[in-house]
Amino acid sequence: MTGAGEVAQDTIASQIGLGDLSQPARVRSLWRDAMRRLLKNRLAVAGLAVVLLFLFAAAFGPYITPYDFLAQNVKEALQPASARHLMGTDPLGRDIFSRILYGARTAFLVGFTATAISLTIGILLGSLAGFMGGRVDSFIMWLTDITMSIPGILLAMVVSTALKRPIAAWFERMYMQTRHPFYLNTLWLDFVLVFGALAFISWPGYCRLIRGQVLSLQKLLYVEAARMVGGRTSHIILRHLIPNAIGPVVVAVTAGIGGAILLESSLSFLGVGVQPPNASWGSMLNNSLSLWRTYPHLMVYPAVTIGVIQISFTFLGDGLNDALNPRQTR
Amino acid sequence: MLAYVITRTVRWGSGLLLVLVTTYAMMFYGAGDPVKRMFDELSQGGAVFDKSVQDAMRKELGLDKPFHEQFINYLVKLSQGNLGISIRERRPVINMVRVRLPISVQIGLMATGLAALIGIPLGVLAALKHNRWTDTTIVGSAVFINAVPVFVTGPLLLVFFVLVLDIMDVPFGWKGPFDKQIILPLILMTMAPLPALVRQTRAGLLEVMGEDYIRTARAKGLTERMVVMRHMLRPVLIPVITVLGFIMIGLVNGALFVETIFNIPGFGQLTYQGLTQVDYPVIMAVVLIGTVIVMVGNLLVDLAYPLLDPRITAGK
Repeated sequence: MTGAGEVAQDTIASQIGLGDLSQPARVRSLWRDAMRRLLKNRLAVAGLAVVLLFLFAAAFGPYITPYDFLAQNVKEALQPASARHLMGTDPLGRDIFSRILYGARTAFLVGFTATAISLTIGILLGSLAGFMGGRVDSFIMWLTDITMSIPGILLAMVVSTALKRPIAAWFERMYMQTRHPFYLNTLWLDFVLVFGALAFISWPGYCRLIRGQVLSLQKLLYVEAARMVGGRTSHIILRHLIPNAIGPVVVAVTAGIGGAILLESSLSFLGVGVQPPNASWGSMLNNSLSLWRTYPHLMVYPAVTIGVIQISFTFLGDGLNDALNPRQTR
Repeated sequence: MLAYVITRTVRWGSGLLLVLVTTYAMMFYGAGDPVKRMFDELSQGGAVFDKSVQDAMRKELGLDKPFHEQFINYLVKLSQGNLGISIRERRPVINMVRVRLPISVQIGLMATGLAALIGIPLGVLAALKHNRWTDTTIVGSAVFINAVPVFVTGPLLLVFFVLVLDIMDVPFGWKGPFDKQIILPLILMTMAPLPALVRQTRAGLLEVMGEDYIRTARAKGLTERMVVMRHMLRPVLIPVITVLGFIMIGLVNGALFVETIFNIPGFGQLTYQGLTQVDYPVIMAVVLIGTVIVMVGNLLVDLAYPLLDPRITAGK
């Protein structure tokens, strides 16, 4: 597929704006182009593969392993890795492999939800700032500046400390009203806390990005041209604004999911995020701090897992950036 | 310049006030009564307390007043340099900060210095060997170090040095900046700012390398060493200081993890302790100090920039 002839044709074709001449029936879209560039990048493909593997583990983890992540078996506590327990067992005899798989569920749940919440806040405030300008703009930018100058982990810890009691009280009240067993499940409480804390610290990044996009796109010539030839507003937004604005946003969201997963494990490591008996890589790592000298397997598996997923997200994010924002690269 | 400093101070001063109000409100309305929390914990151990003891303690600490009164009291005391009295330890927070902060600052300064000493030369080397294996290795390791969080690297290094290589005991606690126990914490703290320094230096150098004045410098017969040190590195080092604000955040965040792993009684541990014990005055103090550190870092960058590069004026 990639010959010198094709490359030359690409350049000429794109210069005169005809699209791919070899396939006249099919117009080359942004996504096809981006996909091709992404697949050429071997590191990005490797990163994508690992992320998909962990997503698979998060979705189907319970069907892969014979052990429940909460099942304790004190007779088999603190075993090193073996055929029975692929990664050994922890002090309560829980299977570490199962807990790592469930940890993937925790990580992605937090990653997606927290990113969705902060992206929503970011889109609302960012587009408000970009469209309104003036005082509204400078006020929102002041808020982002201030939020960003508080060290992130510190802010997340403060928020989660503050939210803990009200959310627990709310869960209790909801149970009293509805008698629904969902509200008795304290495992969910930690998640709500972490969502709140992460949304609180990660919205300013998205807000600035969206504002910048709104500001830069309004001034573009082709938007004006489309308007001049009588394009409907919906057409302009759907066909011109969104496709051009979405590249950096996709990159930011991918990096953001990785970042949220990292923050979740950071908070859990510090003992304010997702806590046992919930499975979280961060809290598994924290729990191993007093035992690793005699049982290093407790520490090594969760540590390597966090490292691998973070590196994969970095490669994937960089690859997407190169693929979707080709003009940015030197 | 002066006008810029004033607007900046107003903007950030009001921001700091917002941070303080929000934190205090979050503690007051969210985290709840610290005295009750403390006595609840104590009574779990079987102790029985009269309610009047709690009331007396609340009164003594001024915690019985409504929110606005408490907060205004706090601000008045703060303006006098008084950070309040720790609820758990019953001693002035300022004294706790005086003991803890210098430890973290020492590690932080050493780490920043070390990162500059290693990072800038590595960035130069990578740029000079552009697209060769040296470059790839340096950039690749920078990406790795940047991606893997310190609370993963820390434990893995511990396992590696203590169990696999068996060349050191478990570093634990604080015995001053010149004790060998500082090695591992220092390595970890250095790793945080390192990738940004390498990347910034390398990118800057690559941009400058093709310039005409570099060719002129070579043409007039300067040694390669002189060309790099005098002509390439000087303009490049200016943008490098922009990562300072970023480094500051990294140091405050990093201290939390490194001090937890190695049990170093520094600022990070004070933060951790204050938050887990819901000790209002301590939480307020660490939020205040952490934010001021980052703000001052950013301000220094903005002020130093026009001094180093006359083409740029402050505020633009």
